[in-house]
Amino acid sequence: MFRITRSPIVLDRLLRAVRDPRAGAVVTFLGTTRNENSGRRVVRLEYEAFTRMAEREMRSLAAEARRRWPLRKIAMAHRIGIVPVGHASVAIVVSAGHRAEAFTACHWLIDRLKEIVPIWKREHFRGGQVWIGPQQSAPARRAGRRPRR
Amino acid sequence: MRLRFFAALREQMGASAERTVRAGTTVGALWRSLVAERPELGAVPVRFVVNETYVGASHRLADGDEVAFFPPVSGGT
Repeated sequence: MFRITRSPIVLDRLLRAVRDPRAGAVVTFLGTTRNENSGRRVVRLEYEAFTRMAEREMRSLAAEARRRWPLRKIAMAHRIGIVPVGHASVAIVVSAGHRAEAFTACHWLIDRLKEIVPIWKREHFRGGQVWIGPQQSAPARRAGRRPRR
Repeated sequence: MRLRFFAALREQMGASAERTVRAGTTVGALWRSLVAERPELGAVPVRFVVNETYVGASHRLADGDEVAFFPPVSGGT
């Protein structure tokens, strides 16, 4: 299950999607909307995606994770539109035979998602708003891609 | 061909636009032509996407391509 959604993320659905009798571990990452950023009080967050491409990029990240680690199943969801403070905007769930690879893959997946999946976040403050760009340098290191410009 | 813009770029350019582009033009050259029309765009670092795949500035465009311009993907949490 790889989904961009306007509805609240229902973790139980993702957990069901990774259920596997061979799994001994399920690791879940939830990214939740924080009420401050760089010392500014955030009153509202809003996400925008290039939906079709974002879902495809999530599937391709999952395929890459499965090549790197012995995993069972992966599910990912990202919410778009307005997400109230304190709610989940992104969820990644990984099942594996053992916990070590499930933790490692889940961590890798959220980092890569932030780098390459086309989703943008707009933070509304009292008296202003800002689109959030990358806090680490972006993605030019995918295979075959030249550095931009 | 169809051009698409997202996030901060969408607010400046609208969600999409049509442009006629000579086959073989690079996506970087197309971007420079947009910046020439609207110099304020020059301040935004962008990434190029053709037919939903990230490409470099030297990627050559063909008829019917869909070209998307991305401001950087959202950071942090």
